[in-house]
Amino acid sequence: MALEIKNLTKQYNKHKTGLSDYSITIDRGILGLLGPNGAGKSTLMKIIATISKPTAGTLFLDGEDIVNNPDYIRKMLGYLPQDFGVYPNLNAYEFLAYVAALKGVGGVGLKRRIDMLLDGVNLTADAKRPIGSYSGGMKQRIGIAQALLNDPKVLIFDEPTVGLDPEERVRFRQLISDMANDCIIILSSHIVSDIETIADEVAIMQGGVLLQKGSKPDIVKLVEGKVFETVVDSNALAALKAAHLVIDTSRQRENTKARYITRNQPAAPGSNPVNATLEDAYLFLTHNKA
Amino acid sequence: MKYIYSIIKADYLQRTRSYSFLITLAITIYAAYSFVPPPSASYTTLNVVGYKGIYNSAWVGHVSAMMSTIMLSLYGFFLINGGIKKDVDTGIGQIIATTPLSNFGYLLSKTLSNFLVLLTITGITFMMSIVMFFVRTDGSSFVLTDFVLPYLFFALPALLFISSLAVVGEVFLGRKSILQYVVFFFLFGVIMSNVVGHSGSTAITFVDPFGVNAMTNSVKDKVNTQYHEHIEAVNLGFTFSAKHRFKTFVWDGISWTSIFLLSRLVWVCFAFAIVYFSSFFFHRFDFKQPVSKKKKEPAFSASSGISEFAKGINVALLPPVVADYSIFPFVKTELLLLIRKGSKWFWMINGGAWISMLFVPLNVAHAYILPVLLFLQVTRFSDIATKEITNRLHYFTWSSYKPLQRMLPSQLLAGVILAVGLALPVMLRYAIISDFYTVLNLINGAVFVVLLSVGLGILSGGKKLFEILFFFITYCVIEKIPVADYIGSMQHNSHTGFITTVLILNLFLAAISFGVRNYQVRHL
Repeated sequence: MALEIKNLTKQYNKHKTGLSDYSITIDRGILGLLGPNGAGKSTLMKIIATISKPTAGTLFLDGEDIVNNPDYIRKMLGYLPQDFGVYPNLNAYEFLAYVAALKGVGGVGLKRRIDMLLDGVNLTADAKRPIGSYSGGMKQRIGIAQALLNDPKVLIFDEPTVGLDPEERVRFRQLISDMANDCIIILSSHIVSDIETIADEVAIMQGGVLLQKGSKPDIVKLVEGKVFETVVDSNALAALKAAHLVIDTSRQRENTKARYITRNQPAAPGSNPVNATLEDAYLFLTHNKA
Repeated sequence: MKYIYSIIKADYLQRTRSYSFLITLAITIYAAYSFVPPPSASYTTLNVVGYKGIYNSAWVGHVSAMMSTIMLSLYGFFLINGGIKKDVDTGIGQIIATTPLSNFGYLLSKTLSNFLVLLTITGITFMMSIVMFFVRTDGSSFVLTDFVLPYLFFALPALLFISSLAVVGEVFLGRKSILQYVVFFFLFGVIMSNVVGHSGSTAITFVDPFGVNAMTNSVKDKVNTQYHEHIEAVNLGFTFSAKHRFKTFVWDGISWTSIFLLSRLVWVCFAFAIVYFSSFFFHRFDFKQPVSKKKKEPAFSASSGISEFAKGINVALLPPVVADYSIFPFVKTELLLLIRKGSKWFWMINGGAWISMLFVPLNVAHAYILPVLLFLQVTRFSDIATKEITNRLHYFTWSSYKPLQRMLPSQLLAGVILAVGLALPVMLRYAIISDFYTVLNLINGAVFVVLLSVGLGILSGGKKLFEILFFFITYCVIEKIPVADYIGSMQHNSHTGFITTVLILNLFLAAISFGVRNYQVRHL
C-alpha cells in the first residue's frame, strides 16, 4: 500500500499558495509532518482527505486516482482534523454511531465496536452525557475514537495530541504504533518530541514546499557535528546570534547557556559539541531556507 | 469612546462581509423597487379604498421611507439579532469581559453597530426611491427634502429603537432566539394595531415608534377634505386588489409639527434608555452553571484524568467492520438533532398547536395555526444544512463516503418528515373529506420550506437569510397575500398551475442546493 503524490499544487488565490509542486511517496508506517505555521501541512492533509481539490498534480493510492475518484480512499480513511467540532446535543455514543453511518459502517458488531473504542479512550463513564459538556481533552479523545471506527487503512491526524494530558499522549502514541504495520499514518504536530518518538519517517515542510524527507537518523545526520553548547555573557550572546543559528538559550546566573548550530563557520571558542536531535535538524532546515 | 468606535467598526465589518448580507441587499433593492408600483400593478403600498395618490416627490419619498421603516423594522430585528451570542460563541466575549469596557459601553456599541447595519440597508432603499421617482413619474418636479426628511424622521428613530430592542432582547432572553422572535412579533403586532387606522392624537404620536400614524392620518385627511369623504381606513403595506379604477388626489407630504418631532426625539432617547437599563442585568459573559435538581455528578468522572491508567485501544480485538451505506442512520440522527434543538418546553407549545389543529375550523388550522407552527420551527429548519459547518463537523461529513448522495438527502428527508409531521392534523382532515389536492399542496409546501432553508443555507453559508425570508413569507400568508402562499391555504385560479409552480420552485431549489454543495465538499 502506497500513496503517491506528484507535483501537487494548491493555489488558493493569486497571493496565497498552500502547496507548491509537492511530490512525496508515503508507504505503510508513520510519516510525521513537521513545519512552521503556514507550511502547508493542513492543506496537504485536506487534499489527501479529499475535502480540498488540488489546483494541479496527481494523487494515487494503490494506483487509484483519488483526485478523480475520492470515494475510493473515503471508504478506508480515518481523519482527525486540527479544528474539528461536534454536535453538542448528541452524547458520545450517538455521535460515534452517526460518524459510523458517515463512514458506511453498520451491522451487529457496531455497538460493541463503539463500546470498545469508548472504553479505549476512557470515555465509557461519560458516554451518555452530551458532548457539549466535554472538556477539550475529552473531545479530542472522541475525535481519535471516530477516526478508528471503520478499520482505516489511511489515517490522517492533524495535531492529534493537542489537549491531551501526558498520560493520554503516551496512550495515543502506543495506539498508532500498534496500527502502523497495516496502515499509512500521516501525523502532523508542532511538538517535535511527539514526531521524534513515533514517526518512522519525517517530512519537513515550509512555505508549501517539501524541504526534506527521510528516516529520523537520516535527517538528524544533516546537522551531526554542527551542534554545540557554550556559556556566554550578554555581549558575546549577541555576537553568537549574529554568527550562528542559536536555537535555545537558558539563564545561568550572570551568563547564558546557548545551544547553537554552525552553518559553515567554525564553532565559537569554548564551545562543546553535543548530540544532534530532530529538533536541531528541523530548526536548521527551516531557518536555512528562510 | 475611542474603544466603542473600534468595537462598532469591527462588529459592523464582520456582519456586512458575508454573502447573506449581499443577498439581503439584493432583496432590499427589489423590495424598494416594489414600494413604488406601476399604475398597472395589482397591488398598492399605501391604500385608501377607491383612491390613489398621484406620484410626485412627496408621495414617492414618504411612501418609500415609510415602507422601508416598517419592513426593515420587521425583518431588521431578525437580521441584527444575535450580536452578543456571536461574541459568546467565538469566545471574544470572555476577552471583552476582562477589559475596562463598561456594560453600557459594550451594549451601546452593539446597538450602534446594529443601527449601522440597518442604516446601510436604508441607504440603499433611499437611493432606490430616488431612482424610482424618475422611473415612475413624468415631469413631476424633484424635491430632495421630500426624500431626506421622511427617512430622517421616520426611519432613523425607528431603526435605532429596533437596534436597541435586539440588544435588550438578547440581554434578557439570552440564547432563546425563538422566544425573542415571538416576543418581538407580538410587540410589533401590538404597536401596529394601536397606531394604524387610529385617528391622530398626541398620545398616539408618542406611542408610535415608526411615525406611521402621522402619515396615514395626513393622507386620510387629504382625501376626506378633497372629496368630502369620511374614510377611516388607510392600509399601509402590500394590498392586493383587482380594482384598477381609482379617483386620484395630490398629496404634498406631512407638515412636520413640533409635537411629531419631539415624539421622534423621545423614541431616540427611549432606545438609549432601555439599553442603559439592560446594562444592569447584562451577564458580562459570566455564565452560572445551571443547578440541576438531579443528583449532582462527581466533579471528576472516571475519565476526567485522575483515574486509573486506561486500557487503550487494541485494534486487533475490535469487532470486524460491516459495510452499511444506507441513509437511515443519518435520517435518524438528523431527526434527533432537529427534535433536541431548543428548549424542551417549546415542544409543549408545538404539541398544543398540533392538537388544536385537529379541532379548530379547518380553514383556521390551515391558514393561521399551521403557518405559525411551521414558523415556530424556524431555528430548527434554518440550520439543517449549515449546522455541520457552524459546528465544524464538515471535515468528517464531507470526507465521508458519497457525502452528496447520502448526507444532503438525509438532511432534506429529516426536515420534510418534521414539516409533514407538524402538518399532519390538517392533512388528515383534508384526506378525510377527500380533498387530496390540498393534501398534495401541503406536502409540496413542507418540501418547499425545507428546500428553501437548505438552499439559502448552502448559498449564504448562514441561517439569517432563511429566517428573515421565512418570517416574511409567514407574515404574508397570514395577511392572505397570494404570492406567498406556499401551503395552498388560499384560492388560486388554476389548481394544476399552483401545484406546478411550487413544484418547479422546489426543483430549482434542489438543483441549487445539490449543485453548490457538490462544489463545496471538494473545496474546503
